[in-house]
Amino acid sequence: MDVNQREEIISELAAHLEDLYQEHRTHGMSESMAFQLCLRQVAEGHRIARSIERTKEGVMNHRTKALWLPGLATLATASILLVILQPISSLQPKTFWVNGEQLGVDLRWLTLLPICGAAGAYLSRRAGGKTLTCLVAGMFPAIIMLGSYCLFFPVGLLERNSFISHHLLYLGLSLLDTTVLPASALFLGAAALAFQRRDRTGTHNAS
Amino acid sequence: MDKRIDSNITRGSAELAILTLLNERPLYGFEIAKHIEERTAGALRFTMASLYPMLYELEQRGCVKARWETNPAGRDRRYYSLTAAGKKELVPLRREWKRFFHALDGLAGLNHA
Repeated sequence: MDVNQREEIISELAAHLEDLYQEHRTHGMSESMAFQLCLRQVAEGHRIARSIERTKEGVMNHRTKALWLPGLATLATASILLVILQPISSLQPKTFWVNGEQLGVDLRWLTLLPICGAAGAYLSRRAGGKTLTCLVAGMFPAIIMLGSYCLFFPVGLLERNSFISHHLLYLGLSLLDTTVLPASALFLGAAALAFQRRDRTGTHNAS
Repeated sequence: MDKRIDSNITRGSAELAILTLLNERPLYGFEIAKHIEERTAGALRFTMASLYPMLYELEQRGCVKARWETNPAGRDRRYYSLTAAGKKELVPLRREWKRFFHALDGLAGLNHA
């Protein structure tokens, strides 16, 4: 917690004690008795501080729990799936030729990607992620790929006689193959979870 | 008979109690605790240790928002008010609790106890 936040909490708790003291006094309690009763509330000071700290910060912050971890889980699952699928199946990725450029589409992987997207969205949702967060977590691998393209494409264009500047069609097909198609597949799974109505039962169980 | 309800149920219902009160008007911490105690005839009672962590959690979840204002006594207090998200949360929360009590009533016949 930063200093301002800490000071604000202290001010609020002090105001609470002030009100409590005033109320006891209004009910005819002696100064010392009212003071003693207020002191009892402060006696649990460490417990209050721990409890507030835990609430304010948590072990991990909300973004980590609802976005980064589910996103990384989606990325890991999608990557592992790709690695596993390659050797165990005799079916090779389907290859398309467009103006002499090759586009390899692994339909087996694409078919399974919605499950990865759904898993990421589910983890995000369980951690309290909103719809957009769930979608981002579910489509995380595609977002990472898009980020990589955005980073390396301009660098490649700047370089004279680079492969990219001479094969823009290849770049487009590659973007389609590694980003757009996986993103669509992941979206299918993630959207199924992200747009689902929330069941409130778990949020207020009496335990 | 002890008027205080078991602490587990108290903890679970605290969220509903706070959101319900704030749905009526903005209140500051001490007022929230006082209103809840009065309106439940002492069955629900908040201490600082139980109230503020709950309020901060609701604030973090975006159900309530807080801002410092001067109360009628001229003192600065941190007033909590229900956000649109909080109002949205309250509707199913009420419905679930209603179902919960209805189910319990069917099981234990609370109305005839």
